[in-house]
Amino acid sequence: MQKYLIRRVLFAVVTLFGVSISIFVIMRVLPGDPLVAILGVEGHARMTPADRERIMADLGLSAPLPVQYVRWLRDIGSGQLGKSFFRGDTVAEQIMHRGPISAEIAILSLIVSWLVGLPVGILSAFRPNSIPDAVARALSVLFIAIPGFWLGMLIVLASLFWFGYKTPMVIVQLWQNPWENLQIVIGPGIVLGLAQGAYIARMSRSCLLEVIGEDFVRTARAKGLKEGLVVMRHALPNALLPVITISGVLLGFVLGGSVAVEQAFGVPGLGRAMVSAVIERDIIVVQNLVLLYAVIFVLVNVLVDLSYAWLDPRIRYS
Amino acid sequence: MTDHTSKSERPGTLDRRTFLKNAGAVGAGAIVASRLSAPARAAAQDATVRPDPAAKRGGTLRYGIHSASAHFDVHQSGTVANIGPQSPMYDTLLRRSPKDGQTIIPDLAERWEIAPDGKKYTFHLRKGVKFHDGADFTAEDVKATYERICRPPKGVVIPRTPLFATVGEIVVVNPHTIEFRMTEPRPKAYMLSSFASGWNIIVRKKTLEDNGGNLRQVMNYPGTGPFKHVERRDKEIWIQERNPNYWNKGLPLVDRLEIYHGFPFSPEHGAAFLAGKTDYARLLDPISWRKAKEMKGVTAGVFNQSVIQAFWTNMQRNKALADPKVRRAIHLVMDRPTLVEVVKDTAPMQVGGFVYPFHEMSTPRAELEKKLGYQKDIGPAVQEAKRLMKEAGYAGGLKNLEFLVRGDIATFKLWAVAIQAMLKEHLNIESNLRTVQTSVWFDEAAAGNFDLAISAIVSSLMDPSDIFSAWYGKGGPQNYSRWSNASFYELTPQIEKELDDNKRRVLVRKAEEILENDPPLIPISYEQIYDAWYDKVHGQNPSTFFGIYDVVRWDNVWVS
Repeated sequence: MQKYLIRRVLFAVVTLFGVSISIFVIMRVLPGDPLVAILGVEGHARMTPADRERIMADLGLSAPLPVQYVRWLRDIGSGQLGKSFFRGDTVAEQIMHRGPISAEIAILSLIVSWLVGLPVGILSAFRPNSIPDAVARALSVLFIAIPGFWLGMLIVLASLFWFGYKTPMVIVQLWQNPWENLQIVIGPGIVLGLAQGAYIARMSRSCLLEVIGEDFVRTARAKGLKEGLVVMRHALPNALLPVITISGVLLGFVLGGSVAVEQAFGVPGLGRAMVSAVIERDIIVVQNLVLLYAVIFVLVNVLVDLSYAWLDPRIRYS
Repeated sequence: MTDHTSKSERPGTLDRRTFLKNAGAVGAGAIVASRLSAPARAAAQDATVRPDPAAKRGGTLRYGIHSASAHFDVHQSGTVANIGPQSPMYDTLLRRSPKDGQTIIPDLAERWEIAPDGKKYTFHLRKGVKFHDGADFTAEDVKATYERICRPPKGVVIPRTPLFATVGEIVVVNPHTIEFRMTEPRPKAYMLSSFASGWNIIVRKKTLEDNGGNLRQVMNYPGTGPFKHVERRDKEIWIQERNPNYWNKGLPLVDRLEIYHGFPFSPEHGAAFLAGKTDYARLLDPISWRKAKEMKGVTAGVFNQSVIQAFWTNMQRNKALADPKVRRAIHLVMDRPTLVEVVKDTAPMQVGGFVYPFHEMSTPRAELEKKLGYQKDIGPAVQEAKRLMKEAGYAGGLKNLEFLVRGDIATFKLWAVAIQAMLKEHLNIESNLRTVQTSVWFDEAAAGNFDLAISAIVSSLMDPSDIFSAWYGKGGPQNYSRWSNASFYELTPQIEKELDDNKRRVLVRKAEEILENDPPLIPISYEQIYDAWYDKVHGQNPSTFFGIYDVVRWDNVWVS
C-alpha cells in the first residue's frame, strides 16, 4: 500500500509538472497583448516601443522563458503564487477569498448529485422499463444535455422577473452569514449537481442491473431478506465502485463547468476569476488557477483510487 | 410582417434589409433618438458646487458601475472601470457642473485667468485643502500632476497627453497660484475642457515621487476628494466613506458610497438594479433599462457617450480600399438606421457622421439626415455608391476581404454580420469574418492584418480638434486605415488654433466634407448611455451629460 501510494504521488507530481509546463507555454504562445487590458485601448495605441519595453520588464515578461518559469516555481514555493499583472494582489489572496465559495459549490453539487442520482438509479434498476424508469432516464438525458450556464441564466432571470430576487452581489463566507452564503452557492450547486446526478443515475442503474443478477443477490432474496435490505446491504455496496470512480471524474467537470456556471449566476468565485483573467490576459492568474484545478483533480483521483481498497476488501494494492 | 409580405415577391424569401430590421426588432422598445441640446460652452467662475438646501444628509448610496479596473492609475486609464469607482476620492483643477454636465466651474482652482493672447492660464488654488493623508494641497502638487500628464515618464502612458501638447512651462508662482504657459494658443473652450476633464485628478507630488511616477498598482493613493477609501474587494465592491475634512463644507451629502461592480450592458448589472440591490445603475443594458423605465419610483435617463463605433478599411494592404471612391461607396451603403436597430437590445446607439452628431459645430442632425449615407431610404445612396464603384473600376465588387471583429463585444458581432450582408447585397463586396479577442484585435489592427476591422474608439473631449487628432491624425494611434489626406491635414491646425467660434465652425464643416468624400473610417453610430435610479436618489440627472468620465463625484447627491 505504501509503495503504491508513493508511486501514485510521484505520478501525480509528474502530471502536475507537465500541466505547469503546458499552461506556461500555452499562455505565452497564444496571440493577444496583456498591455491592451493594462493600458486600455487609447493608452495601448499611444504606447511607444520604449514604454512597451519598460512595462514588459516591470511585468517580468521580457526575461527569457526558462527564467520566467523558474520564477513562477519560486512563487509557488513561497506560497504566494505570484502577483496579478494588474492590481498587484497575489493569486494566493484571490484563492483564499474566492476559493471557499467555489469549494462550497463543488461540495454542494457533489451532495446534490448523490442525493438525486442514487435514488433515481436504484428506482430505475429495480423497476426496469417501467414508467418511472422511463421518466428517470429521460430526465437524466435532459440534464446531461442542458448546458449548465443556460439553465443558470434561466434560473437567474426567473428569480428576477417572477420574484424580484437577485443573489447577494459580494462574497459572503459561510462563517460570516450562512443564510446569505447559501443564497450565493445554492443555484450553481444545484445546476452542477443535477448534471452530475444524471450521470450518477445512469451509472448506478446500469451497475445495479448487473449486480442484482448475481448469485449472492439471489441468495439474499432466497434467505427471505426484505427487498430494502437486499438493496442496501448487498446490491448497492457492490455497485458503488464505478459510481465513486465517476464521481471523481465528474469533479473535473464541476471544476470546468463552474467557470461558465459561476459566470451565469454572477457568483464571484474562482471560475469567474478565471474568465476575467483569460479576458484580461492576466497570465500569472490563469496559470496558477489552471494548476490549482489540476492539483485538485489529481488529488481527488488519487483519493478515489485509494478508497477502492477501503470499500472492497478484495482489492489490495501492492 | 405586413411589410415583408407586401415587399417580398418571391414566397419564402426575405430581403436582406427587412431581415436585418426584423432581427434588430426582437424585443420591445425603440431607440431614443437623441435631441439633446448643444453643449453649453460656458465657464462659470462663481459656481462652485453647493449643497442642495433641501438635501437630507447621511445614508448610503449604492451605485452599480463597471469597477473591475485593470490597475489604479486614473491618469493612465481610459476606462470607466477606473473613473467610476475612483473619481469620488479625487478633485480636479476645474470640473463640469453636476447640474448640466457642461458648464465648467471651479474645483481646486477657485478662479482662473486667461491671457488675452491665449498663451497663459493662471489658476488661483484654494487654501486649506488637505489630502486624505492630512498633507496640505499646494501648487507643487498641481505642477507634479500636470508635468506627469503633459510629459509622462518612460513606461507611463497617458491618453490625455495630446490635449496639453501646447503646454510649455508650468510655473508655480506661489503655493496657491500656478501658471500654464503655452507654446501657442488654443481655443479657450478646448483648454478649459481639458483642465476640467475628469481624468486629470490632482495627486500628491510625494505620492508620485514615492512610486516612481507609476500608480498602476497603488490602490489607495491620497486624494482631496469628497470620499475616502474604506475597503475594496476586486470585481465585487469598493466602499468609501464621507471625507469629514472635505474643503467644500457641507459636502458630500451621503455618509457612505458602496460601488458595486456590474459589467456594462450585462444582465447581471441590470438584475442588481431591478431587484433593488443598487440605487443607481450606470450603463444598463437596453432591456433592463426599458424594464426600469416601466417601474414605479424609478427614473430612467439617456445621454451621449464619447465613443464612435466604426469600421476601418486598410488602405495599405488593399489597393481597392485605398481608392476614396470605393471607401465613399462603402460609407454610402451603410444603412445606419438599420444598424442602430440591429443592436437595440444590446446597446443604445444613434446615427452620426465623422464628428459627434450632437456637437454644436458638426452638421446639424436634420441636415445630416438629408445627406446620402444617413437617409432612412438608402436607395439614392446605393445608386451613388454603385456609380462610384463603377468609376473606380470595381463595378463587379470585391472578393475575399478579411473582416476583423472584436469577438467579446456583442454589438460588433451583430454589426459585422449586418455590414457583411449590406456590402454583399449592394456592392457585391464579399468578406470573411475573423472574430478575435480584444487583446488580439488591437495587435492585428496595429499590424495591419485586416482589410476591414470593426471596433470603437473614445475621445477625451467632444471638441473636434481632439477627435481629428486622435481618430484621423496622420500616423495617429487609432488611424488603423493608414489614412492620409493633405487637405484635411492643412485644415486641422487651423481648426486647432482658430479662437473665433464662428470661423472655427466653418472650418469644421469643411473638414467634415473632406471626410465624407475620403472616409478615414466608416462611422456606424455613436453610443448612448442608459442610466436608471430610484427616486430616492436626488441631485443627479445626466440627461445633458457628455460621456461618463467627467461628472462622477457624487458629492452633491443625496438619498431620501
